Amino acid sequence: MVKTTSKDAQDLFRALRSAYAATPTNLKIIDLYIVFAIMTAVIQVVYVGIVGSFPFNSFLSGVLSCVGTAVLAVCLRIQVNKENKEFKDLPPERAFADFVLCNVVLHLVIMNFIG
Amino acid sequence: MAMKLSIFVALIALLLPLLSTAFSPETPTDRRILVLLDDQSIKSSHSIFFKSFQTRGYDLDFRLADDPKISLQRYGQYLYDGLILFSPQAKRFGGSLDLAGVLEFVDSGRDLVIAADGAASDLIRDISTECGVDFDVDSAAMVIDHTSYAVSKTDGDHTLIASDEFIQSDVILGSEKIEAPVIFKGIAHSLNPANSLVLKVLSASPSAYSANPEAELSSPPSMSGSSISLVSVVQARNNARILISGSLDLFSDRLFGSGVQKAGSETTFEKSGNEQFVTELSKWVFHERGHLKAVSIQHHKVGEVVEPAMYRIKDELEFSVEIYEWSGKSWQPYVSDDVQVQFYMMSPYVLKTLSTNQKGLYSTSFKVPDVYGVFQFKVEYHRLGYTGLSLSKQIPVRPFRHNEYERFITTAFPYYGGSVSMMAGFFVFTIVYLYNK
Amino acid sequence: MAALENAKGTALRYACGNVLSFFILILIGVLAFSIRLFSVIKYESVIHEFDPYFNYRVTQFLTKNGIYDFWNWFDDRTWYPLGRVIGGTVYPGLTLTAGSLWWLLNSLNIPLSVETVCVFTAPIFSANAAWATYLLTKEVKGTGAGLTAAVVLAMVPSYISRSVAGSYDNEAVAIFALIFTFYLYIKTLNTGSLFYATLNALAYFYMVCSWGGYTFIINLIPMHVLLCIVTGRYSSRLYIAYAPLVVLGTLLAALVPVVGFNAVMTSEHFASFLVFIILHVVALVYYIKGILSPKMFKVAVTLVVSVGVVVCFAMMAVLVAMVASSPTKGWSGRSLSLLDPTYASKYIPIIASVSEHQPPTWPSYFMDINVLAFLVPAGIISCFLPLSDASSFVVLYIVTSVYFSGVMVRLMLVLAPAACIMSGIALSEAFSVFTRSIKFQMPKLLDDSDPVPGDITSGNSVVQSNQTKVEKHSAADKSEGTLKERPQKKSKKKEKEPLEKASIKSQIEKKLLVLPLESSVLAILLLVLLGAFYVVHCVWAAAEAYSAPSIVLTSHSHDGLHVFDDFREAYAWLSHNTEVNDKVASWWDYGYQTTAMANRTVIVDNNTWNNTHIATVGTAMSSPEKAAWDIFNSLDVKYVLVVFGGLVGYPSDDINKFLWMVRIGGGVFPHIKEPDYLRDGQYRIDSQATPTMLNCLMYKLSYYRFVETDGKGFDRVRRTEIGKKYFKLSHFEEVFTTHHWMVRIYKLKPLKNRIRGKTKKSKSSPKTSGSKKDERVKKNPWH
Repeated sequence: MVKTTSKDAQDLFRALRSAYAATPTNLKIIDLYIVFAIMTAVIQVVYVGIVGSFPFNSFLSGVLSCVGTAVLAVCLRIQVNKENKEFKDLPPERAFADFVLCNVVLHLVIMNFIG
Repeated sequence: MAMKLSIFVALIALLLPLLSTAFSPETPTDRRILVLLDDQSIKSSHSIFFKSFQTRGYDLDFRLADDPKISLQRYGQYLYDGLILFSPQAKRFGGSLDLAGVLEFVDSGRDLVIAADGAASDLIRDISTECGVDFDVDSAAMVIDHTSYAVSKTDGDHTLIASDEFIQSDVILGSEKIEAPVIFKGIAHSLNPANSLVLKVLSASPSAYSANPEAELSSPPSMSGSSISLVSVVQARNNARILISGSLDLFSDRLFGSGVQKAGSETTFEKSGNEQFVTELSKWVFHERGHLKAVSIQHHKVGEVVEPAMYRIKDELEFSVEIYEWSGKSWQPYVSDDVQVQFYMMSPYVLKTLSTNQKGLYSTSFKVPDVYGVFQFKVEYHRLGYTGLSLSKQIPVRPFRHNEYERFITTAFPYYGGSVSMMAGFFVFTIVYLYNK
Repeated sequence: MAALENAKGTALRYACGNVLSFFILILIGVLAFSIRLFSVIKYESVIHEFDPYFNYRVTQFLTKNGIYDFWNWFDDRTWYPLGRVIGGTVYPGLTLTAGSLWWLLNSLNIPLSVETVCVFTAPIFSANAAWATYLLTKEVKGTGAGLTAAVVLAMVPSYISRSVAGSYDNEAVAIFALIFTFYLYIKTLNTGSLFYATLNALAYFYMVCSWGGYTFIINLIPMHVLLCIVTGRYSSRLYIAYAPLVVLGTLLAALVPVVGFNAVMTSEHFASFLVFIILHVVALVYYIKGILSPKMFKVAVTLVVSVGVVVCFAMMAVLVAMVASSPTKGWSGRSLSLLDPTYASKYIPIIASVSEHQPPTWPSYFMDINVLAFLVPAGIISCFLPLSDASSFVVLYIVTSVYFSGVMVRLMLVLAPAACIMSGIALSEAFSVFTRSIKFQMPKLLDDSDPVPGDITSGNSVVQSNQTKVEKHSAADKSEGTLKERPQKKSKKKEKEPLEKASIKSQIEKKLLVLPLESSVLAILLLVLLGAFYVVHCVWAAAEAYSAPSIVLTSHSHDGLHVFDDFREAYAWLSHNTEVNDKVASWWDYGYQTTAMANRTVIVDNNTWNNTHIATVGTAMSSPEKAAWDIFNSLDVKYVLVVFGGLVGYPSDDINKFLWMVRIGGGVFPHIKEPDYLRDGQYRIDSQATPTMLNCLMYKLSYYRFVETDGKGFDRVRRTEIGKKYFKLSHFEEVFTTHHWMVRIYKLKPLKNRIRGKTKKSKSSPKTSGSKKDERVKKNPWH
């Protein structure tokens, strides 16, 4: 049972990797960016577990800035993904402009909130 | 919001506007005194007492109690600063003066001396009652003491009492100790223990009682022992002072001069303590002593001089007040080590004893508590014999402004790093992404 | 060629339709604005009621001192001696809006007073709200429905009650913000654009700034997302609409001082985070499903599900722990009373004492949304007819808001837009069905030989043209004086349902089911009639029911109009005859007005944040004179203000509110017991009243010298003669009573200068002074 599961898992990972290899480069860049953001968020959460949540606003803005970045990047990824039929009529340039706007708002808020 | 700090320098302030003319906060000593007498003979039989006033610069106006021209006020202004009622038998006053008039006079912050004796009228009793002193209801009763009477030629007159149970207060009775007992002959009165305004100055010995000396004692005396007060003073909430004595003879030249020997005691005094006692007491009553004033309440942040309109929590501040005592002629610095200031909002948050520089300036410094609200600096100084000081000064305390909190906290640096790296990452990503395309 | 011409014609028609709807919208705005001006015309341009006075005062401060001082404003004139941090406890949206409006006007050299701007803020924003409704409904069901909904909203009495000129309260702005946020959410959902998502977050921020009701949004939207996921309607647009909103919205909400960390710490917001996590899981699943073969996906599912279940449980545990650790289990009193309508009356008298927090009665539904109540079901049905994401959202909105409005009268306001949207949809659908059937039968009447109109395409285009027609028609209606509004109807409901079904069928079977001409015409007439009824009702509500400013009262009697301006008389007296720093005690209802109009420090006010402080005042009012004097004196109170309606029959006076004072006071200081004030469970002030009642301060201050007015002491509110007519006040003295006795002001007497002895009549005095001390120990909460 365990063996089949692990075998399945291996198959799965292989399939996932091969499927993922087919992703276009720009999406891969986005993925990298997302991973970076999530890692930063995780580091901060671990840190807060160690030192406690005293400057709570800083913690909140720190983590939420990472989460926000990740979420926005996911949105961008969804929009520029050519396989996604829902956004055929949305040009990637427009999507990117929206993404930049959103990020600017996010980071302004973060700067306001962190201190 | 034009936040104006109000200063309630309240010497029990209600009737302050009425304290005008000669009797003013600047010179609290009375100057003009009306003396009401039952008959003109009292003027001569009590001349030492009256003379002592005149030598101290008072202006005495003698009237008979039923003089129809008596009037305390003219055009709404009081003509006198003090009133001496040496008219125990007056059923009613002449002129416009009545019970209410006397009380109004007191409530305007002016002083009163009442002397009763065996035949005290209802009017005098009513005035005393209004001031918190209850004379024995039995109008024939006198204070009798079979152990501490004054030994005299007519031995056996136990209504002539020699008492040395004075109140322990230098302020009221002067710093010089009264050695000789005071001779008293008159009626007893009692005080309500719950009444904090009235003080026994001279009390009877435990063996005294109040009864009719002529009649058999059929029932236990209504008043006895040291609950009997012979001479009392009242300091009203507006600092008006009242002296009430159960004996008019107390003030008389005869008793001033007579020698005294207390029954059971070997020592004979050449001269009774009456003159010293009465004179010192009259100095107190007419505000030659024990009158305090507080001026220039100031507070500011440590290191600054300007008084702010509002403090912030956890500010360090300095508070100072100057307190002076009236010596009869001028204001002298009042020196004491028990003046306290409260920083008060519903309850005192800070209670500090003020330190004095011996020149009347009291000051301290403390930290504003970590609570915001409308606070008051409160100085409540009530000491036996002194006029009460109730000062309060309102001052709001606000919380931190949004930009007064700590910034750039060390523990928060990873978060700053996190968000900065996100911003940097955003730029890098933008460039890479666009370039890649 | 023909097709091209056809297309051109359609384009032209659309252009015409757009221009028309633009003008209609402007007219709707004017309508929404002007219907709210009755209060200014009938009374005068004043701020209304209680809370608006506070907002007005805050706005004055803002315009005078600028935003930073406002942000840091510590107000020492209220809640003496605690003070109140205004900047941190107030929803700044309304004030900032009016402040910037004023600033804008002034910098354009239009010198309006702050008060004028404040008075007209609400009508202006109701016009905005009508436009937002149009946009929202258009996203859901198209232009026709949008216009109808906008018209209906512009006049809905429930909203008018909160937004007449002068009622300068948070809700005036918040309803606009609410609808606009929903619109942007739907818009994002429909387009999947990050741009709208950003705007959505900003609109949400504005809503958070404006009103505590923002929690409705942050719970409703997650509910909708969850609903979409559960019903298998997940799409990446949903992700784009929701995920950025949560992150940005939470951050922005945390920027508002009054919300602060509550945005992440209280359980009202937890639902959104939970759904946020679920959404990510679902998104990941869909993504993996997309890139994997079905077989591998199955394998993945087994793995992910097993892992995911564990993760979910962990998350749940964390959430539960957080909820449990936060105060009041994370729920504030008001929210709890939403979930459990009996909660407030059971535990928090201070919430229950506010009439707006009571559950509404059935008549109030009819009063506030009128015939819309009957149109809502029809609207729901038509929403289900193609069920889109947007229409499912609207359905969810109406369902939840109906529930909430059933809990608290105040939330009727949230229901109103939903009901308007639904009614708008229902009406516009009904109209299009009826007019279409008429249109199809017209040619039949004219030319019997002509067969039923042909193929699908022409059918469609005809439908379109019909719709445009409807719009034009309605436009004509409206521009002709707005009196022939469209539609409503009770009987219509009956007709409507078959109708709807019919229209589905027609679509499915690609055949047009046509109603008989006569009944169509009749139905349209009936709809118009009901529309007219609705309009009449709305105008009546705006003119009569909701425009009284409550600060000035009027009454009609046989000898004409009486104006009772006692409140302003009393406040003016206070501001002219008392010291600047004097403290005035009154029941909290009058706190805002006293600070705003008389500029005197008050002990408690309408921002009921400190129950103990209010209970102290309640205790003082329900205590006998001496104890009350002690309490007031310890609070440095100089004057006591009571509102008394017994002379003129003004029912909302302090005697009628008195039981709440007793309850609130008794909740904190148990020596105040409600049964002491009731005779056999009845609240009465006549000779049957309990001695406690007749001796309490409120009774005495209200009825002091009352018997002198008519010799009998007949109270016109309670319709009875008072129980104790002749009495004196020992610790208070009357200093001012207004013309109609509605406001009476008393001053605390100072301590007696002397203390009497005990002989003769004063036999009791030692006892009193002794017991005074005792009382101080027992009854005065500050000692």
